[in-house]
Amino acid sequence: MNESRAEVLVDCQSLWKIFGDKTEAAIRAVSERGATKADVLQQFNCVVGVSGASLQVRRGEIFCIMGLSGSGKSTLIRMLNRLIDPSLGKVLVKGEDLSRLDTARLREMRARHIGMVFQSVALLPNRTVLENAGFGLEVQGVPRAERNAAARASLAKVGLSEWLDRYPSELSGGMQQRVGLARALTSDPEIILMDEPFSALDPLIRRQLQDEFRQLTKELGKSAVFITHDLDEAIRIGDRIAIMKDGAIIQTGTAEEIILNPADQYVADFVAGISRVHLVKAHSVMIPVAEFRHQHPDIALDTLPAAAPDADVAALIGQITEAAQGAVAVVDQGQAVGVITMRNLLLSLREAPAAQGGDHG
Amino acid sequence: MADGFVEGFDNTVDDALFWLSDNADFLFDGARVVLDGFYRLVLDGVGWPPAWTIALIGGALGWWLVGRGFGALAALGLGLCWATGLWPETMDTLALVISAMLITLALALPLGVLVGYTTGLDRLIEPVLDLVQTLPPYIYLLPAIALLGYGTATALVATVIVAMPPVIRLTALGIRQTPEAFRELGEASGVNGWQMFTKIRLPFALPSIMAGINQGLMMAFGMVVIAGIVGSGGLGKTIYDAIRTLDIAKSIDAAIAIVILTMIIDRITQGLVPPKEKA
Ligand SMILES: Nc1ncnc2c1ncn2[C@@H]1O[C@H](COP(=O)(O)OP(=O)(O)O)[C@@H](O)[C@H]1O
Ligand SMILES: [Mg+2]
Repeated sequence: MNESRAEVLVDCQSLWKIFGDKTEAAIRAVSERGATKADVLQQFNCVVGVSGASLQVRRGEIFCIMGLSGSGKSTLIRMLNRLIDPSLGKVLVKGEDLSRLDTARLREMRARHIGMVFQSVALLPNRTVLENAGFGLEVQGVPRAERNAAARASLAKVGLSEWLDRYPSELSGGMQQRVGLARALTSDPEIILMDEPFSALDPLIRRQLQDEFRQLTKELGKSAVFITHDLDEAIRIGDRIAIMKDGAIIQTGTAEEIILNPADQYVADFVAGISRVHLVKAHSVMIPVAEFRHQHPDIALDTLPAAAPDADVAALIGQITEAAQGAVAVVDQGQAVGVITMRNLLLSLREAPAAQGGDHG
Repeated sequence: MADGFVEGFDNTVDDALFWLSDNADFLFDGARVVLDGFYRLVLDGVGWPPAWTIALIGGALGWWLVGRGFGALAALGLGLCWATGLWPETMDTLALVISAMLITLALALPLGVLVGYTTGLDRLIEPVLDLVQTLPPYIYLLPAIALLGYGTATALVATVIVAMPPVIRLTALGIRQTPEAFRELGEASGVNGWQMFTKIRLPFALPSIMAGINQGLMMAFGMVVIAGIVGSGGLGKTIYDAIRTLDIAKSIDAAIAIVILTMIIDRITQGLVPPKEKA
């Protein structure tokens, strides 16, 4: 996986959430004999919300959780700010174990460090856009002038400066969700939790908000956990993606890692339709320099056009079709680290059957 | 055997009431003084301005909260009450309803909030509310008159009893039905219990609470008329007296005045209900 050194802000360690009474027995059944969600429902009358999920979100990272409806995404994200108490397992936020915080400290943690945006937006209908955006600071007892200034600033970031005194019902769905995002930003939290914020919007607005959200988050240096049931959205927004099924995380990685190396048939089927030309990068396609020299002793490396390790296949296709020798050198910090040939490029676009997935990583 | 039991039961109740009025007399005397005093205070408030001022105020409120047409009708209606010569009685009745309603709100709103917050308490209190609402309202005059005697205080107590159930019920309902997403918003924003109540639950409960107050008012109007029998004064007494003397014209005048007053208060309090959120 990509081993960035950034500080871990959110650390979930084998989190479980079972809805029902016999949670302990149900957890044992799942972890010891691999009981399925259906088994647990039948045998213990319990619903598996999340089973044994672990994930780390680093500072500055957008972490997507992708899964079909009912796979446990909302339950998982609600354990990250303890709206839901885990049945088992730990959540550390900024190194603090959430289950150990008393009510006052938990409130403070939520108010200052963890923002949340909901699919339903949940704008208070009897308050203006400005008052909604300042809600978090109002709750913290920040004086009106100060919180209005902060709310104005964050509304400006999402392009709603003209709408401060309007009521939520006067806004379109996309604008309402922008207010939701502004509200989360006003308290200036390090971590923003987003539970399918764009799922109810129409595709065009959705695209636009996805791009704006990613840009804004990166600009402000925020970290985000972003939930979606749409793989395209996860790829567009996420630095890393976790794929959930029946409460469990079955794979975590960058879009490229998941597409080139799906963990199982379920993931493979999921990613089957995704276009790779913008996702697969030079460093995953290239062959070692020595191998290239061995195959083509006649071609001098420095005559090849150079590409960066993170150049995508689309860019590489452009370069390679211009190159006389039909190959591109991958250069990192002035050093040739690999070579890409036409054949490599074509192979990279062929969808690997799941069985073969293992040889890539 | 059954007769013996019933007789025994009746005697016990009688004894208990007598015991109460003998031994806790100072308490009920005190209560009567306080209730009467409160009523006089309110009556001074609505009875003091000249009739046309009240008619204008009623008209203005009607215009503002319901519509121009209703405002005009309200002013006209109050003028009609004045023209029949029943103005003091109309104001007596208004004062009775207002003072009973203020007491009702002081008791029923906190109780409704408590019921709304406490799971299980609603199952305990629902049957009581059902019972209170099913029994014929004049039942409540009996214990009140036994303890407080003939007069306004008895009317007030009985009115408060019948007006409370809808306010409690609909306040509790409103507090309970805060949308899940907004409860989560509050929690995730780090609200404390009081902020959750004032900033999230209460705004969503307001339409329901206002509906409860409106229903309570309608119950109060009904009771206040019945309470004419126990010497409440006002239009209730006018009607009661008119029935005894077969003064049909006067009883019709009084009935019209009550209808007018009830309709004005009904529509105005409905107008206070904030419009349902559109989002
Ligand atoms: N409060 C609850 N009580 C019982 N079951 C629940 C509750 N909340 C969620 N579930 C169940 O847990 C599973 C995961 O739900 P959820 O986290 O909402 O999934 P997602 O957000 O991925 O659609 C579902 O099967 C759902 O029915
Ligand atoms: Mg969900």
